[in-house]
Amino acid sequence: MKSWIEAFSIIDFISVGILLTAVTLNAFKSIESYVKAYTINSWLLAGLIAVVAVLVGETHLYIAALLTLATKGIIIPLFLRRIVRRMRVTREIQPYISNSLSLAISGILVAVVYASLKEGIFITGFSKNVLQISIAVILISLFVMITRKKALTQAIGLLFMENGLFLAGFSLTFGMPTMIELGVLFDMLMGVIILGIFVIQIKRAFASADLDKLTVLKG
Amino acid sequence: MEYFQFLVIILFSPLVNGVIKKLKANMQGRVGPGVLQPYYDLLRLLKKDMVVSTVTSWIFKATPYIVFTATATAAVIVPVLSTASPYGMMGDVIALIYLFALARFFMALGGLDAGTSFGGEGSSREMTVAILVEPIMMLALFTAAISAGSTNIVRIATVHPAVFSPSHLLALTAFMVAIVAETGRVPVDNPDTHLELTMIHEGMILEYSGRYLALMEWAHYMKQMILFTLAIDIFFPLGIAQSGNPAILAAAVVVYAAKVTGMALLMALVESTRAKIRFFQLPSLLGGSFVLAFLSLVTHIMMGK
Repeated sequence: MKSWIEAFSIIDFISVGILLTAVTLNAFKSIESYVKAYTINSWLLAGLIAVVAVLVGETHLYIAALLTLATKGIIIPLFLRRIVRRMRVTREIQPYISNSLSLAISGILVAVVYASLKEGIFITGFSKNVLQISIAVILISLFVMITRKKALTQAIGLLFMENGLFLAGFSLTFGMPTMIELGVLFDMLMGVIILGIFVIQIKRAFASADLDKLTVLKG
Repeated sequence: MEYFQFLVIILFSPLVNGVIKKLKANMQGRVGPGVLQPYYDLLRLLKKDMVVSTVTSWIFKATPYIVFTATATAAVIVPVLSTASPYGMMGDVIALIYLFALARFFMALGGLDAGTSFGGEGSSREMTVAILVEPIMMLALFTAAISAGSTNIVRIATVHPAVFSPSHLLALTAFMVAIVAETGRVPVDNPDTHLELTMIHEGMILEYSGRYLALMEWAHYMKQMILFTLAIDIFFPLGIAQSGNPAILAAAVVVYAAKVTGMALLMALVESTRAKIRFFQLPSLLGGSFVLAFLSLVTHIMMGK
């Protein structure tokens, strides 16, 4: 099993997959495909943790993989899908920057991250490429957050960023203690629920979830 | 034997197109024409008289020969069954791309030469697609070339069987999109219709008839098969013969036929499940594919594999 993982460089494949799902976020218009991309991203993240767990052989990593799969891979996507259905808004109609331009910019972001972290400042245990990829994911999701108008797409950007941060932390520390991970996941779950309720309230009060409209005074 | 492997592409390329058509028809629940239909079409066209507009210049008449010769030359460069090809020294991936560009340039000129509006439309669209597709192919091929340490296709095919990495997967995906665009298949162009709103390749060759049309169509089939072979050589060359031994060559023939059929199946699947996208949305599809190719190159440089 271990030799298989190393022979087929499975960690590299999964981490490139995580990067790719973040990059494709820039190409999508419908919010449903955002949710799909987030689901795939979370499954890949859980897969990566599981693969590292097999390599290292620590029980708490298996638990972390399962927890990630359950919360980020199943519960949060289901919840997001419900919000999308209730909002009846399916498209990010006008991002501030056109899709092809933001794709190009995210490509440049990846190149900048790779170039600036080329010499391994941080020597990590299982792969020297995961840290770069996680920072690229963080930057791309930050970019998605600042260029989209809808509250929900911004929320998904935030979730992506959290995945990136988790990956960065994981690549440096081989996973935090289970208690801390539990706490973080629970926090996130609460955060998503609050965000969901908040988005629906914005929609109800302003008849749109477009955050640009929040700057207009309502008397 | 390996001196004549380019004949495989020249002789069997209409068959590959027939197979794609047949598979596509079966997927859509139709019977479809037989797999040999492209040969009958070519024979019929070769026998027919030509109608050439009186306003055309020598470019119109030279174009079919230039297009056919450039594509046939490209077929010689690509190793099909064996990497013991004596023509490997003739050119590399860059030469191949520019042979295609030469053929495309003259095809666009030929489309413009008769002065019809459809020809001009087709040529203008073809050039627009070309500037988007060429960098994708270049970057995807450069990723493969860097990992093999050479831009020579024979060398890449010899080194690559042991190489499989994330950057190759990205480059392969980008290259597949480029193949779909280059062969004029569905999300980009529709090979079956002559509707003025959709046609790109058909628009350019609308004025050609008889022998000239046969040469143009044959060149198009050849280009399609060369691109399939290039993808096979570069991304999954496992099974290609490394020497001229007859037994190994026979095995290579079987493996090659299976791989080309696989590619044909993929193309038929894409054509049956996708709808043609609007021309002005092409830049976002091809731009996405360009970013993939760019990422593959960057990833390759970062990971070193």
